[in-house]
Amino acid sequence: MRALVIDDSRTMRRIVVAALRALGFETLEAEHGQAALDVLEEEGPVELACIDWNMPVMTGYEFVVAARENPDWRDITLMMVTTESEHSQIVKALAAGAHEYLIKPFTPDAIRDKLQLLGLVEYEESA
Amino acid sequence: MSAAIDMSVFSETVFAIAEEVFSAMIDPEPGALQPSVEDVEAPADATYAWVDVHGEHPGRVMLGTEHETAMLLTRALLMMAQDEEVSDADFVDAVGEIANVVGGNVKALVPDPGPLTLPQVAAEPPADGAVLLHDAQFAWRGRPLGISLWSLP
Repeated sequence: MRALVIDDSRTMRRIVVAALRALGFETLEAEHGQAALDVLEEEGPVELACIDWNMPVMTGYEFVVAARENPDWRDITLMMVTTESEHSQIVKALAAGAHEYLIKPFTPDAIRDKLQLLGLVEYEESA
Repeated sequence: MSAAIDMSVFSETVFAIAEEVFSAMIDPEPGALQPSVEDVEAPADATYAWVDVHGEHPGRVMLGTEHETAMLLTRALLMMAQDEEVSDADFVDAVGEIANVVGGNVKALVPDPGPLTLPQVAAEPPADGAVLLHDAQFAWRGRPLGISLWSLP
């Protein structure tokens, strides 16, 4: 499976990419929403996009709206990964088409748990 | 911003936020970050990172520490070896991201906050007329680190 990590912070991209690769994802990166749309145009749809909210050029929210307008990308699972934790922001993102919301700070285990809920990562069998 | 946040519990609240940020992303060892009771003078060789909150209660959340401590924080956040070279771009981005995550969680304490600005990093705090509301001091592995809240003009 392929994941697109969209964050203007190279630090945060590195952290999210490391967590996703540990779960078996191939990863692509973009530093803002418009760059992410360009990646999708060039590379085709991915299974998962992890999206920061506050970014220059095009915000994560604007990316979600734009991505949902393209029927070729309707199967992409969109997960916001952001410090924006107000209820109104979460509702706004989910209403625009995001599937899940992960608030920074997070651990790699928190990413795994969200992706298990979304059906993108299998649950581990307990010993 | 002071009217929007209970300043009597600011230190405790910010410590809880900072502890969560540090344990999740920087240093998982329990007790690595501690509240500090010492008054710490601004270091000569400092790094400051901040984000501003716009809206009805405009304010700033700023992290300040010695440059060397900021370098150690960068290596920890980026999972780098202690002797690994840190580029200027990685340094600015990593320290800024710490301020961004801390600031974003402090912003959540304010009712109806506006958007958060992108983080800024510099060797001097910004001289733009901001008024200091509260300065909470911590120690990360014994190294002083401050998180302050400012009201913007």
